[in-house]
Parts: sequence; C-alpha cells; structure tokens
Amino acid sequence: MHNDHDERLDALFAKARPDLPDTSGLETHFETRFMARLAERRAKMVPWQMLVWRMLPGFAVLAAIMLICSLSLNPTRSSDPFAAITNSHDEQMAKNYLLGE
Amino acid sequence: MDDVKLEFSDECLITATLAGDDEAFARLISRHKRRVFGLASRFARDNDELEDICQEIFIKAYENLGKFRGEAPFEHWLTKISVRTCHDALRGRRHEKHNLAWDDVSYEIKDNAETARSEARQARELLNLAMGFLTPDERLVITLMELEEMTLRETAELTGWSEANVKVRAYRARQALKKILEKYYAQ
Repeated sequence: MHNDHDERLDALFAKARPDLPDTSGLETHFETRFMARLAERRAKMVPWQMLVWRMLPGFAVLAAIMLICSLSLNPTRSSDPFAAITNSHDEQMAKNYLLGE
Repeated sequence: MDDVKLEFSDECLITATLAGDDEAFARLISRHKRRVFGLASRFARDNDELEDICQEIFIKAYENLGKFRGEAPFEHWLTKISVRTCHDALRGRRHEKHNLAWDDVSYEIKDNAETARSEARQARELLNLAMGFLTPDERLVITLMELEEMTLRETAELTGWSEANVKVRAYRARQALKKILEKYYAQ
C-alpha cells in the first residue's frame, strides 16, 4: 500500500537518480595507475615454477636418502622368480623340520 | 570499417590480454571505466574509497579473465564483478559507527527547474546518509533497483540471490529507509 512516505521516498529516488558524482578527475590516467599496481603485485608474487625450481635440491636429497635406505635395509631380491619360490620353499621346509611339524 | 570494429572488439582485447598484452587490458579499462566508476560511486564514501574499489574491480577482472566464457557481453560480466566488489566494500565497513549529520543536508522537494541540479545533489547526499544505516544487503538491493533502475531479475542475477530474496530485501530496505527519513523530516 502506497502512502505519503512511499511517494516521498520515490520522489527522493527520482531526484537522486540522475545525479552521479563527477568522477572524471579520478578516471584520468586510471589505466596508468592500475598498470602500476598490477606490476607491483606481479613483483611481489613468486611464480610457481620458481618455487618448484627452488625446492628441487630438497627433492633430490630426499630421493637419495630414500634410495640409500631401501638399498641398505631391504635384502637383495632375486631377479629370477623360480629361484625366489624355491628359496622360500627351502626355508619353509627347514622351518617345518626344526619345529617338528 | 567492420574490420576496425572487429579488431577492437572486447573479445579481441580479452584474447590479446590473455596472450600477455597488457596494453589490450588498458584499452578494455578505458572502454568500461565510466560505467564502473558510475556504479561504484553509488557506494563509495569518498574519492579514495572509490579509487580503491575500482582498482579492486579491475584487478579481479584481470585475474579472472580466463574464466570469462563470452556467453554474455563483457560489460555484464564486469558489472557482476563490480556489484560483488561494492558489496564486499559495504560489508567491510558494517561495524563502523554511523553518525548522521543531518545538519549538513537540507532538502526540500521543489519544482523549480533552476535549482534541480543542486536539489539532485542534496537528494543524493540525503539518501547516502540514510542508506548508511541499512545493512550491506539492503543497501545493495535498493541502490541497484531504485537508483540504477535494474529489474528484479537483473538484480537477482548480479547479486546471485533468488528473486524472492531480492524482493524481500528490497521491501525491508524501503521500510527501513522510510523510518530513517521520517526522523529526518520530523526535525
């Protein structure tokens, strides 16, 4: 329901609508200021490629440690699957004999 | 002539920007800054804030340019970013205390054409003061619908709210504004 207050408000909106502050002063050379800010932001940012490159020695050391650990802690494996099966079968036979099974 | 138009279409400038040509983005700014400044000036309190908001809008546009699919005109996409950035600015100052300086504003509705310009400025100042008391959501909706004369659907699209939600917020904003202005007129 429209009343006086509504009409007054509508009149106020109608009056204010066409009036926009003069922003022409701010608009002048806005592109230049924007590009300067963009360049500043870029200078602050570290590209991800650079980050990966910087972390490369760390990755290399980690990989070397893992390789050394795996070589020193794990027994050497036979590349022959038949020999591996036979070895484990012999081991099992010996275990059964010793345990009296 | 058509070739020249094509060369400088928004789409071409966007493609050039994405290929690393910053000059193309500067051209896009030149083309659309009037609209962006106009909209942001409805929400900014002073020139410093207006500059900050506009810079933020174009930074967001630049950083998300790759996501622009070209389904709608670039101006529409940019307006969406502008509306959301202005909303963020409003929300950023929601905890600030408002001091209504009614004394600085004197407003009467007159029909005198000679004073129309100053009346319009006074009306805008009065509305700015009164809208300072609204919530960011209400202020956004009322500005878009009443001052920018956007439809319910356009407002819903730009804000990302449902049409029903926009309607409710607009109604509440009007009610709140009426109360605030009643106090002013009673003085």
